[in-house]
Amino acid sequence: MRISRRRIYILPTRFGMMLAVILAAMLIAGLNYNSNLGLAFAFLVASLTLVTMHHCNRNLLGILVDVTTEIDAFAGREAGVDFVLRNESNVDRPDVEIRILSAAGMGRSSARNEDLVSVVVAAPGRGVLQVEQFELRTRYPFGWFYAWTYVQSPVTIFVAPAPLGSRTLPSNRESGTAAAAETRGDEDFSGLRAYQPGVPLKHMAWKSLARGGEAAVRTYTGLAAQPEWLEWTALEGLDTEARLSQLCLWVLESDGAQRPYGLRIPGTEIAPSGGAAHRFACLRTLAAYGGGTA
Amino acid sequence: MERVSFEHLLSISACLLLALLAHVNSLPVWVPLIVAICGAIRLMMAWRGGGAPKRWVLLTVAALVSALAFLKFHTFNGLPAGTALLALMMGLKLLETATRRDIYIITLGIYFLCIAALLNSESFWLLGYLVGVCWLTSATLLRLTTSQPASAWLPSLRYGARLLAQALPLALIFWLLFPRLGGPLWSLPVDSDSAESGLGESMSPGDITQLAQSDEIAFRVHFLAAPPPPEELYWRGPVFNDFNGRKWYGSLSASRKDPQLVLNGPAYRYVVSLEPHQHVWIFTLDWLKESNLPRAFLTADHTLVSPFAVSRPVDVAATSYPHANFLDPLSERLRQRELDLPRGANPRTRQLSQRLRAEHPNDMEFVGAVLQMFAQQPYYYTLTPPKLADDSVDQFLFDTKRGFCGHYASAFAVLMRAAGIPARVVTGYQGGTFNRFSDYWILRQSNAHAWDEIWIDGRGWIRIDPTASIAPQRVERDVADSVSADTATVSHWRGHSRWLADARLRLDALSELWRERVLTFNQDSQDRLLEMLHIPDPDGEKLVMVLAAALGCVLVWLTWQVRRELDAHSPDPAVRSYARLCTKLAAAGIPRRAHEGPESYAERVAGLRPDLAVQVEMLCRYYSNLRFAPPAGLSVAQFRAQVRGFRPSRSPR
Repeated sequence: MRISRRRIYILPTRFGMMLAVILAAMLIAGLNYNSNLGLAFAFLVASLTLVTMHHCNRNLLGILVDVTTEIDAFAGREAGVDFVLRNESNVDRPDVEIRILSAAGMGRSSARNEDLVSVVVAAPGRGVLQVEQFELRTRYPFGWFYAWTYVQSPVTIFVAPAPLGSRTLPSNRESGTAAAAETRGDEDFSGLRAYQPGVPLKHMAWKSLARGGEAAVRTYTGLAAQPEWLEWTALEGLDTEARLSQLCLWVLESDGAQRPYGLRIPGTEIAPSGGAAHRFACLRTLAAYGGGTA
Repeated sequence: MERVSFEHLLSISACLLLALLAHVNSLPVWVPLIVAICGAIRLMMAWRGGGAPKRWVLLTVAALVSALAFLKFHTFNGLPAGTALLALMMGLKLLETATRRDIYIITLGIYFLCIAALLNSESFWLLGYLVGVCWLTSATLLRLTTSQPASAWLPSLRYGARLLAQALPLALIFWLLFPRLGGPLWSLPVDSDSAESGLGESMSPGDITQLAQSDEIAFRVHFLAAPPPPEELYWRGPVFNDFNGRKWYGSLSASRKDPQLVLNGPAYRYVVSLEPHQHVWIFTLDWLKESNLPRAFLTADHTLVSPFAVSRPVDVAATSYPHANFLDPLSERLRQRELDLPRGANPRTRQLSQRLRAEHPNDMEFVGAVLQMFAQQPYYYTLTPPKLADDSVDQFLFDTKRGFCGHYASAFAVLMRAAGIPARVVTGYQGGTFNRFSDYWILRQSNAHAWDEIWIDGRGWIRIDPTASIAPQRVERDVADSVSADTATVSHWRGHSRWLADARLRLDALSELWRERVLTFNQDSQDRLLEMLHIPDPDGEKLVMVLAAALGCVLVWLTWQVRRELDAHSPDPAVRSYARLCTKLAAAGIPRRAHEGPESYAERVAGLRPDLAVQVEMLCRYYSNLRFAPPAGLSVAQFRAQVRGFRPSRSPR
């Protein structure tokens, strides 16, 4: 989204106010002493403030900003919101501050370049955070003024429950077969498939990569065979948030073990599958449970 | 607030010290020294990775230096004391600087120190220097605000210079058009160290000798027409009527009624550009008719007096006539005053006077006899006369016979009074150097002079310059030339080297220009400026309107200037011209699509607007040839000219 002229607001900073007082004093001194040189200096500094006001405004003008629209996080941790500042002009824009929620991140936007600014937002509780707008702010060049603009660009932050809980995975608990299957599965090498992000490093086919082939992942028949249902109803005796936390932990554990899993909570059922997209789908379902907004 | 780095501390300390350097003449040397020490201590602590010192240490030091400043100045009021205090506080602030906010506050202090140095200054160089300090401060501020990755200093300085350059036109408009006050808002405290210069409020014969060795400029004069002959160039200053045997005193009382003078002779119109001398008198030629200085008045002794001490450069336009007829007789009270001599003092002088008077009962003959005596007897004219004791006039006339203009004027007046002729001593300046490079006269302190006026019934006050009869060339030329060679202490190079003297005059012409155009710029100058802009009846209101209009124009220019850099224009002139072509076609209704190269664009234009096809295809081919396969015979300039000449109509013909 391009920052347009009409949407940039500007005000003096506290330091700018102090400067205004000093300038008024300088002006009165120059007039009272009838000193043309004193006045010349006072006017030069006053003009400098007007010039910096324009430069402050320009520092945001015409900047293109994009933001990741969906962010995943865990409760109690931090969410990194990534912004891309694109600068098509010939001037550097140092000192661009991005404020979202109560967090702020400093960045710069170099001439004819794209820069990434990450703002770390605290995610205190489970739920779905809908942020309608964020703010770009600058105090460039002298900190006498600050210009700011609001960018209307919805950002959704899915805050999954904190992965907590003491219960073991249902398959582990019910019979030793799952654990046995897993150990056996390691031996039960079935072939290679294309690499996709989020695969444990130990399953990478390093040898084929070293031979100059494509990045690939070894697959095991034993893992694909046994889908596991992570069930809300399996957690009798826990309250809602504890159940969600436990389910979240199980999702991560299953995902880490490269085992297909499905999620069944009241009102939602996600069919067993694997991979990063599936994991995110499960975590977002947990985050949104009960229409929860953090 | 973020903590400051070593580099920030270093640059702000440097800026502060540089700003203080401008005060080196007016502040005691320990002030910048303390500030420098504070800066050094803080830098050392920062180098070792430490923070600011403890609060109680700072408070103690603050109390100590404030006490020190108070002991020195006995006040915190007034410019020097205030400046010293501000400088010391900024030094201490430097010592406690921990966050950026502290540095921001120091920059404000720096600005104030800069203007404080300029308030009592007239120097072009000082202004330039302080603008330089302001520039460095700007670069520091810039680096403080954008501390992201600390970049090199050079771009920061360059950017600061750009900001200052953009501020200059605005500042100029403000300076030219901001309404000035007629007088100060409140009376300024008299600064104890702004020394009086030039002639004093009393005169003992030796006084002027010190002045004669000073090259300092007292005032400059522009004559609006031909200047008077050299023998009329007597610039009247304080007049002394009362003699106590050693010293002459005067008063600045205004005459109760305007002196009845009939002025005649050619009118001399001129502008006296007075340097500040902290006295009230304004030097004018005899006899003054009128001046343009508001609230100035003529004393009973016919000296022009300003209502307040001249502490700024001031321009006074005046008209004088060389001859005056006094219609009223001298009042008995005044005659008594002008005849009074201290009882019993200088007995030998009185005897001499009475003896000569007996021989010459006619007033003018008597005057001629006295001047004859000065001319014929071995009276020397020297800058280093012997010291005189109590009966100073006796001693001078009969024993030492060596003196300066003050001695001769004093002795002459005593001789006149003893013979019953009312006489008074007039001090002022005489002669001057003509600056042929800029058509004005320079009067230096070395032109200071003393002469007499005597009252002749029926004619009035008549100027007599007894010194002229000793060294007649003195009237025509500079003091230095008339000094006998063995006693010359005047700097040797003066007059020796012609080109050096010329260079000096040229330099003075420049500084006169600076003074005339900048230092004495005032309401009248603003009115003249508006008249030049063909604005009738200039007044403050119109001035503000013009100021607002001019500011508006400059701000529009500034906006354009600042935004212009945002347009991504290529440094390649061919690309720029092609972009221009595209803009023209877009205006004609066929904007180039982002994916289109020149050839396909030309094709599409040809399809939509057959009337433009030939031209556009030619131009686009020219461009792609220029860009991708520059064969000989193609020139960017030609392409540019062709694009410029291309004017597509909006609709096909």
